Amino acid sequence: MGDERSFRVALVADRYVNPAPGTVDGLAVLEAAGWGVMQLPDDAYPAEVARLLLAEVAEQVEEFSRHGYLFILVGERAGLDEALARAGVAIPPRVVPASAAELSEFLAAQPDPPALAAAWDPAG
Amino acid sequence: MGVAFVAHCLLNQNSKVRDGAHCAGVYSPIIDVLRAEGWRVEQMPCPELAFAGLNRFWAVREQYDTAAFRRHCRRLAAAVAGAIAARAEQGEDIVLVGVEGSPSMGVTITSSDPDRGGRPAWPDGTPEHTGGEGIFVEELHAELDRRGITFRVAGETHALATHDVASERARLESVLEEGHG
Repeated sequence: MGDERSFRVALVADRYVNPAPGTVDGLAVLEAAGWGVMQLPDDAYPAEVARLLLAEVAEQVEEFSRHGYLFILVGERAGLDEALARAGVAIPPRVVPASAAELSEFLAAQPDPPALAAAWDPAG
Repeated sequence: MGVAFVAHCLLNQNSKVRDGAHCAGVYSPIIDVLRAEGWRVEQMPCPELAFAGLNRFWAVREQYDTAAFRRHCRRLAAAVAGAIAARAEQGEDIVLVGVEGSPSMGVTITSSDPDRGGRPAWPDGTPEHTGGEGIFVEELHAELDRRGITFRVAGETHALATHDVASERARLESVLEEGHG
């Protein structure tokens, strides 16, 4: 079996990964649509804990971005914009979905990842 | 129930070493069990991704066991341990879900070959798996011990010759249940 990665990565606010009852289950939508997830720190974390975690997220986003992986942002997280800027990465297209259908529509509207046009054939 | 700190690739198979992604994005056999059992899911960084990049080679533990990689892992471990400590202070049960056979994320099985190096060539079936933790898990374990935080471990097992999804799921469910025994 070949490599099955999608080259699609969503930065996702914690509330969409661990949703409260009755709220949007973003992880389920992203899983079904074949997107990878980079989870953002829970808003409840102390600022210093979140800062360190966001710095690591940004560094990993930089590596993916250099290789043409497609990024989106689902939800919001204080400090993320600054962390991405420090890593030299642009803020990706953002959605704050009020429903699973809204998130699905947003995902469907995204372009193909640039990496898919690169030489590496993931099925190879 | 509690908080499961999971290996990065369990939510994002795009982080895997080339030819290692088992699915498009979220590795559902593990994540679905955690969510069905009512556990919070929190993702750890991938130690290999930011250090060696997306074009890294498959590697064994000895190839990553350098002072520089350990410094990198200690930095990551400090960040993750801060999050784990916050949850532990809330009285949450903590489980680490790693990747068995991984040189960095193995929790009970890592990979070892002291002679590996040079031009990459390793035939299928190389007997590289051995008991022990990967380097990041080892550093995180040390940091959590220093903070007096206890935890249990489980692992995704795709890399093992004995892998099957039903057994992987049963082992995870058993580890999750231990806290309620």
